[in-house]
Amino acid sequence: MRRKLIFSLLVVIFMASCAWAAPIEIELVQYKPEAFRIFDALAEKFNKTHTNIHLTISSPNEPVTILKTRFIRENYPDMIGIGGDMNYSNFQDAELLADVSNYRGLAKIKKAYIDILEGLEFVPTPGVFGVPFMANAAGVLYNKEIFDAHGWTIPESWPEFIKLCEDIKAAGIRPLYSGYKDTWTTLAPWNALAVDLAPADVCQQVNMGKTTFAKEYREIAEKTYALLQYAEEGPFAYSYNDACTAFARGESAMFAIGNYAIPQILSVNPDLKIDSFVMPGSDDPNGQTLNSGVDIMFCVMEACPNKEAAYEVLDFLLDPENIQFYVDDQNSVPCQVGEFKLTPMLDGMKKYIDAGKMADYQDHHYPSEMAVDAQIQTYLIQGDVNAFLEKFDKDWIRYNRDIISKLQKYNASR
Amino acid sequence: MKSQNERKRTFLLIAVPILLLFFCFNTMPLIRGFIYSFTNFRGYGKFDWVGWRNYEDLFTDTRVGNSYWFTFKLALVATILINILSLIMALALNSKIRFKSFLRGMYFIPNILGALVVGYIFSYIFTYILPALTHAASMLASKTWAWLAIVIVCAWQSIAMNTLIYISGLQTVPEDVYEAASLDGATGWKLFRYITFPLIMPFFTINMVLCMKNNLMVFDQIMALTKGGPAQSTESISFLIYNNGMNGGQFGFQSANAVVFFIVIVIISVLQLRFLNKREEQL
Amino acid sequence: MENNIIVKERFNWPVTILLLLGLFTVLFPLYMTVIIAFKQPSEMTNDVIGLLSFPKAWSLDNFREAMRVTDFWRSLFNSFLITALTMVVSIVIHSLMGYAVARNMNTSKFYRFSYFYIVSGMFVPFAILMMPLVKQTAQLHIDNMFGVIVLYVVFYMPMNVLLYAGYLKNIPIALEEAAHVDGASTWTTYWKIIFPLMWPMHATVAVLTALGTWNDVMTPLVIMSGSGVNTLPLAQLNFQTQFGTNYNLAFASYLLALLPMLIFYLVAQKQIINGVINGAVK
Repeated sequence: MRRKLIFSLLVVIFMASCAWAAPIEIELVQYKPEAFRIFDALAEKFNKTHTNIHLTISSPNEPVTILKTRFIRENYPDMIGIGGDMNYSNFQDAELLADVSNYRGLAKIKKAYIDILEGLEFVPTPGVFGVPFMANAAGVLYNKEIFDAHGWTIPESWPEFIKLCEDIKAAGIRPLYSGYKDTWTTLAPWNALAVDLAPADVCQQVNMGKTTFAKEYREIAEKTYALLQYAEEGPFAYSYNDACTAFARGESAMFAIGNYAIPQILSVNPDLKIDSFVMPGSDDPNGQTLNSGVDIMFCVMEACPNKEAAYEVLDFLLDPENIQFYVDDQNSVPCQVGEFKLTPMLDGMKKYIDAGKMADYQDHHYPSEMAVDAQIQTYLIQGDVNAFLEKFDKDWIRYNRDIISKLQKYNASR
Repeated sequence: MKSQNERKRTFLLIAVPILLLFFCFNTMPLIRGFIYSFTNFRGYGKFDWVGWRNYEDLFTDTRVGNSYWFTFKLALVATILINILSLIMALALNSKIRFKSFLRGMYFIPNILGALVVGYIFSYIFTYILPALTHAASMLASKTWAWLAIVIVCAWQSIAMNTLIYISGLQTVPEDVYEAASLDGATGWKLFRYITFPLIMPFFTINMVLCMKNNLMVFDQIMALTKGGPAQSTESISFLIYNNGMNGGQFGFQSANAVVFFIVIVIISVLQLRFLNKREEQL
Repeated sequence: MENNIIVKERFNWPVTILLLLGLFTVLFPLYMTVIIAFKQPSEMTNDVIGLLSFPKAWSLDNFREAMRVTDFWRSLFNSFLITALTMVVSIVIHSLMGYAVARNMNTSKFYRFSYFYIVSGMFVPFAILMMPLVKQTAQLHIDNMFGVIVLYVVFYMPMNVLLYAGYLKNIPIALEEAAHVDGASTWTTYWKIIFPLMWPMHATVAVLTALGTWNDVMTPLVIMSGSGVNTLPLAQLNFQTQFGTNYNLAFASYLLALLPMLIFYLVAQKQIINGVINGAVK
């Protein structure tokens, strides 16, 4: 036992004396396996230009499970790259993430995305816990060839959108493909309509008892339902994958989904001309908002021993040249201010992106165990909007009661 | 007497270390899970104790109630179907047939194919091929029929395994028993009912229990075919436990669900085993 | 047993024909798998004819690419190592336990309890064990292949003990008693007489255990996460991301992973049929 102790002491002394020479190790685990090539390239570039820090980026499959199991083992990476969703809220709430508000590079990030992260915190906490890197954008993708052939134009309001759908239908083409067998696809039109029709912080407002979903969500629910008549027959039989294939083969003129579906669609038909527009949920042409969320952000873990080194890695990743490199490969929207060349497939949304007129996906605030996607699917099958909204409000209170009680405590203490 | 003690000692030396190993990696984590069922634990980070709240919720949660109803309906129908079919398959594959190895090999394939393949292929069959043949809507999109589609796929995949167990059971039936019986004039159904079946009764017990267990814990097929839909009509208990406990933040609550589910299946299976063991003795 | 029959072998043709017809239920999905494995993503359509048609070209590119993406030989080796070790350890330990239980269940409360205790372990949903096991294996520093094998041996114990105990019910105790009279110890009797008698069951257990470990994703994923060691099913996750799946490569890869198992099964099932039990018992 004693010998072991002396030995390990020796090892520590030896390591300490070597420390001046060895570079600091930074491990970044990012959650988009589809972007692994780009991250490998970035890590390689970083290590070529930096001698004091050695960066390892891993892009595992099933990343969230991997991260969670590593947290259980208390085997924390230095940095993580995750999306702005419930996992972020949970990790932040579990106090795993470090406050990076003193990071200089934050000044260059669009405020809308910092606000989105703020909105994801269960309980408002002073500080910033992630640096938004890339955003995604959702709305309606359309087949440019079909649109050009018929001279159809981009609708600016809900009545115009419905008229467009009628025109497409009259021309003997299917307006939309929905693929609602996978429950999560129901959230795509839902979220895109919600940014136009409900306040961005509706969930927090409900948690504070200021409003109800029955009041705020009725119009969204009714408009999501109205889309059904323009979609394929029996949409609950077809999956997301079927819908991508069908849209790629020109079986529908539009597909209410986000830019994340583009690679899958292009894999079926690489020559397809796709463009997009913002879902015009509001009756007022000036009332539209782009549905955009944080696709990937970088967080520094509370357990990271060398925050300055992590900041240096952030500086590198947020370098405009590297951002453009990533954008070109992944068709993403950068969260940083500046002139970047975006994919032409997002042309229709560019106006909103530049103006910062956007709001987060509502479902990022829904606890996954409440299965809101399945509830929306149920509603779309049964068509009873009152029952749906009533259940929504009732379930919400139940699944969020810990958060609500935390909020109440927080408000009482203020 | 001495040899009696030696026998006892040998058995204890075998059983005790194995039981300890089993305790360490099955019972101990189960106990930990049981403890977490009194918390609002997410799996990591801080948590609070919530007393019996998770259990109270469990009994008032309609979603959990529906998942029990669905799971038991599915398990019962699938277990009966699978056992009948695999018994027939085993008898057929064990008889004097041509191409024996080839046929046995082919019929085993469904058991090796991964969930992704099975899910994709059968989704295609249910979504495109069957409706084209029958001019009816897809079973997977129907609240009334989706569960039956899952039964079919469960059966398709697991018949191979149960057949295998029945075949190995049939090997314990000595050839001369058949010869003696056929001399007595027993053939066909009578031979099976009065000679073969009683002799492979222990394997019937095993298959009933294994099959029941596999079907009660159905998960892969649901993820591959319906993801719990349409309208939440095919959410199995394991589906809820896994999706909400591991992927969601409900580890504490779903631990409570898992504990109750565990107790329910243990009771069912022990009753099943006792009943079938009694029948074995009578035969 | 077929070789024991002196009369000329007569095949049961009606049953053979029925079995061949029934094969359609297996061959049809298999056919779909194979043609998808050969197609390109751009050949995927949403209609029956497009789906069942042959690929434009029968090229092995998908298989080559799938092997490259999954680092096939290394993943195969890891999968093989885990599966083979699990299988061997399981056969030894579980058959012993099955023997101990089966021979004492009717007389001893302790063994009857052990039997029900182990068998009931089968019904613990894995999801509840997962997080505690992740913690436990990390604390014991077995969050590696060794730990995965230990866990498999424990997971398959209930099923295999159930199988062995059931099988032993049909093996008369008289055989052992005879050996005992000759002065052999219980241990020797087991290895000399009982263990060889159970070959059909060993083969069955081997197939079922191997199959479960071969296709399992969850255990290696959570136990070895971040260690960089890949098994085949783990590597196959490469084909699926949240918003897209490359079914063509995935299917090619699944077909490659299916072959070793199928060969193993064909070898094992010969053991099941050639069981010596017919001659030895009674």
